[in-house]
Amino acid sequence: MRQFAVIGLGKFGLAVAKTLTEKGCQILVIDSDEERVREAGEFAASAIQMDATDEEALRKVGFESIDVAIVSVGENLESSILITLLLKEIGVKEVISKALTAHHAKVLQKIGADRIVFPEREMGIKVAEHLISPDILELIRLSPDYDLLEFTVPRGMNGKTLKDLALRTKYKVNIVAIKKRVPYVNDAGESEFREEINPTPNGDDELSAGDVIVMTGETKMIAEFRKEVQK
Amino acid sequence: MIADKKELANALFEIGKFYFFNERYDEALRVLKKSADLNKKEPETYYQMGLVYEAKNESMPAKEMYLKALELNPRLSVAQEHLDRLVGK
Repeated sequence: MRQFAVIGLGKFGLAVAKTLTEKGCQILVIDSDEERVREAGEFAASAIQMDATDEEALRKVGFESIDVAIVSVGENLESSILITLLLKEIGVKEVISKALTAHHAKVLQKIGADRIVFPEREMGIKVAEHLISPDILELIRLSPDYDLLEFTVPRGMNGKTLKDLALRTKYKVNIVAIKKRVPYVNDAGESEFREEINPTPNGDDELSAGDVIVMTGETKMIAEFRKEVQK
Repeated sequence: MIADKKELANALFEIGKFYFFNERYDEALRVLKKSADLNKKEPETYYQMGLVYEAKNESMPAKEMYLKALELNPRLSVAQEHLDRLVGK
């Protein structure tokens, strides 16, 4: 399994570190703040309190076994740039750096960051897209021309089967999964529902308003399909 | 008379649950709303309506219903759990 290091334990860094740990990865975390290191030390395989801009100290940590380092000290541009540069010099195979602005990203790219992420910008775009189209739950751009879209089945499609809708023929899109909420009574006797996913939908599967479908296809064809169902 | 109203509200609540379990959400909402009109103090009715709205992927009214249920019974943990999930806690 690949080894990860997270440098900078703000909200973003901590979330990355926690998720990697939950997925079973062994991670090393570094921050200059004692309290944050203590918090991350509760789950991380190794937690070090240090100034990561100190080249000598950073070299001593031993990044030889680290495959990917995530630099999440975006608020301090100077530190973020310096740490990214040092990690590349030390020879970390892949360095992912968090950027705050386009200028920051440009510098990170020049000094060799392998990937640059804009968590706030990306989340801002997602929130805005959801506000414009509340029925779109997730939109992943697979390439400039292809999307993966997760959206709520509108009333107009209620009771129709995939065969009835003939989406593949009309819009050249594929339905890759259907999520349904299935009511049940829980152990405490309360009404509840659970999400059930049909990962291999076929033509006879019937849709209900409120189901969630996951589709892939060409961006312009998906837009055409959405225009049609919103009529 | 008051007891009758409550009994009728309870009966409608059970019918609403029946519709919910059979995924007939519009009918479930219709009778649950009637039940809530007859007995405005029953948190379970609002929780149930929240569930129906959520099952229909209508998160705004679902949140309103969970909040209403919690206003009537702040210890209704199932409503709190659903509300937390909807607001993304």
